[in-house]
Amino acid sequence: MDRKELEAKVIELVEISYGKNKGEVTLETSFKDDLKGASVQMVALVSEIENELDAMVALQDAAACNTVAELVDAVEAEM
Amino acid sequence: MSVLDSIYAKAKENLQKVAFPEATNEKMMQAAYETGKDGYIIPVLVGDAAELKKLAEERGYDPSVFTFVDINDEEYKNKVIEAYVAREDTMLKAKALGRRMQDPLYFAMAMQKVGEADVTFAGIDNTTGDVLLAGQMMIGLKPGISTVSSIGLADIPGYQGSEGSLLAIGDSAVCTNPNPEQLASIAISACDTVKELLGWEPRCAMVSYSTLGSGSGELIDKVKEGLRIANELRPDLAIDGEFQLDAAIVPAVAAKKVNRESKVAGKANVLIWPDLNVGNTAVKLIQQFGHADAYGPMLQGFNSIVCDCSRGAPVSEIKGNVVISAVRAAGSKK
Repeated sequence: MDRKELEAKVIELVEISYGKNKGEVTLETSFKDDLKGASVQMVALVSEIENELDAMVALQDAAACNTVAELVDAVEAEM
Repeated sequence: MSVLDSIYAKAKENLQKVAFPEATNEKMMQAAYETGKDGYIIPVLVGDAAELKKLAEERGYDPSVFTFVDINDEEYKNKVIEAYVAREDTMLKAKALGRRMQDPLYFAMAMQKVGEADVTFAGIDNTTGDVLLAGQMMIGLKPGISTVSSIGLADIPGYQGSEGSLLAIGDSAVCTNPNPEQLASIAISACDTVKELLGWEPRCAMVSYSTLGSGSGELIDKVKEGLRIANELRPDLAIDGEFQLDAAIVPAVAAKKVNRESKVAGKANVLIWPDLNVGNTAVKLIQQFGHADAYGPMLQGFNSIVCDCSRGAPVSEIKGNVVISAVRAAGSKK
């Protein structure tokens, strides 16, 4: 899977976990300012990443990401 | 009979299977053994069964008290995975679950999710964060609940409230600065917890420095909004506020300050703090000046009971928390 495909997949998983419509989330989307999610949504996202991408990102690492792009970096590091 | 004595008596009436994923730990195995031998729970030790059996023998325990579950038993593991992924309310798929279940904590919680255990009891080797993450991932939160939280039970000498010397208080340990949705979740979960554990009819007060608009500002607005959400989500529960602490628990003060009907004012048996600054300080005040015994914190909000004990807890405290969690599990099935 190349970087572009990975970015698209992570964006899709963020949309699913945070209940957003397709196209609402971009690489620049901020978890804190734009998504304003609770920790339970981050847990769901980490689970989806495990299910779909076979990458175990620690919750604290995912929670430390400011943007979706940073999360893509974290996932890439685990693949 | 003290509150703990009555909880111990209740545990014997309806034995629950408590899964221990950290039973290699000496204190944990001792607590599992003694609560099992004395007939309060059915202890299920989850891990490398050969190692656990050897340790039990070395420590002089009768192995027949324990049920051993071997995380290396592929047949049983696959059976649990199959049952887990067949459920609609689970997050992990088979491959990811199988990988997670190499960790006894996740194995135990997968068993709990599919009904092979009633409670998972951990926290002596794993951190609180580990237990909370595993609980959210494997057990999940109850519908409508947005956060894990906790309550404690205070037994306050000389206090004569609507439940005698007992008062449930929360959240004093987990949720640091709850937003209105989370505040509502804490109140709702607290009502369910006291019902499960003590059989109380909960009367839950959302506490503030204002009583019904006697003050104003964003701190009070948060409590009011939390109350509105709680009432909307669970109209069956008596949750009311915003009340100052005395208006919540003292009938004479409530009569003066609360000029409308309330099932809670003056007779609250559950107090919900607006944030952890208040909650933590309040517990210390009750303990230091009120000389109260405080039990807990008990985790709440999960679909079924998950218990995290303090890493420095002595065996006596672990045993008390094991039995409390078992009684909650039995109560939650009613």
